[in-house]
Amino acid sequence: MSEKEQRHIFDTWLNQHKGLLFKIVRSYAFTGMDQDDLFQEISIQVWRSVPSFRQESSVTTWLYRIALNTSIKWTTKERKHYPSESLENVQHILQENKIQADDRLEWLYEQINQLDEIDRSVTLLLLEGFSYKEMATILGITESNVGVKITRIKKQLITKSKKNDHHGI
Amino acid sequence: MEFEELQQIWDSQNNKPLYAIDENALHNRILTKKRQTHRITNVSELLSIVVNLCTGSFVFAINYSSANPGTAMYIMAAWMLVVSLYALVSRIRRVKGELQFHRTMKDDLNHAVAMANYQVRLSQLMRWNIVPIAALCLLGMWEAEKNGWVFVLTLGFFAIAYYASGWEHNIYKGKKQELEILKAKLETKN
Repeated sequence: MSEKEQRHIFDTWLNQHKGLLFKIVRSYAFTGMDQDDLFQEISIQVWRSVPSFRQESSVTTWLYRIALNTSIKWTTKERKHYPSESLENVQHILQENKIQADDRLEWLYEQINQLDEIDRSVTLLLLEGFSYKEMATILGITESNVGVKITRIKKQLITKSKKNDHHGI
Repeated sequence: MEFEELQQIWDSQNNKPLYAIDENALHNRILTKKRQTHRITNVSELLSIVVNLCTGSFVFAINYSSANPGTAMYIMAAWMLVVSLYALVSRIRRVKGELQFHRTMKDDLNHAVAMANYQVRLSQLMRWNIVPIAALCLLGMWEAEKNGWVFVLTLGFFAIAYYASGWEHNIYKGKKQELEILKAKLETKN
């Protein structure tokens, strides 16, 4: 595959599925610099993966798999230190869009951020509407194991949301 | 709130992306990354290869051209060249492995743990490698009847190198443990 073709496919994927990547980035990285760093890491892995894509799965599943695997490993990266000079000179990849914050969505992200790295992946796949079978394939665990995790996570989220209903969210 | 409502809230962000991407900056970073290798593993691997290769060759050349060549120095040069070759082969195997994309998160974590294991093993080996190198070096100096201060300074240098390589080894050990914890969390049935 030529570099031009690789770039064309990469750009198409990025344009069509950037929302998916943003959700994962926001669930795993909490500061602007970390989000930039993680997005860069995911993009590099997606770029490298283009020649390996064999259309055995959908692009969405492929991207989810790569982005989640990268994010999980990113959390174990050496502690991230950004020297103050790099903060000034750095070329940011992500620019936050000025959109009105939805309190309920902010709350949902907060809850996801509090989960451990593996449960976060399961929750994201669940919220995106993947089936148990697809989730089992992406995660590499049995459907019954996925089911057990989902039951617990759903219960936890519903309980917390009910508590928050009392606070007007 | 029921789960379906949470899902609706989640879906509400699909039409209003949180970020805009600076595509030029992204492509620049990807290209830079392709050219650069600045990760700690890369640096330490390349250092192991280059330092052992250069020092081994240097020691061999100096000893060969010396009027009174010592056996210990020849053994040390050969040892260093073998270590350099071993580090090179290990690096090629690791880089090949990095280019794989795994079907599942479990496979990917298994691979990451295997890679971390390799890093732990290699850093341990490089740390232990300091001991025979130091011994052969000191033996060579004793053969050449060097003065006591040079002897003490060399010993101090190797002690510092041994201590510093322990610090590097611990970074890899910590990373390996974190990955193993993640893998256990994924496999746990709860």
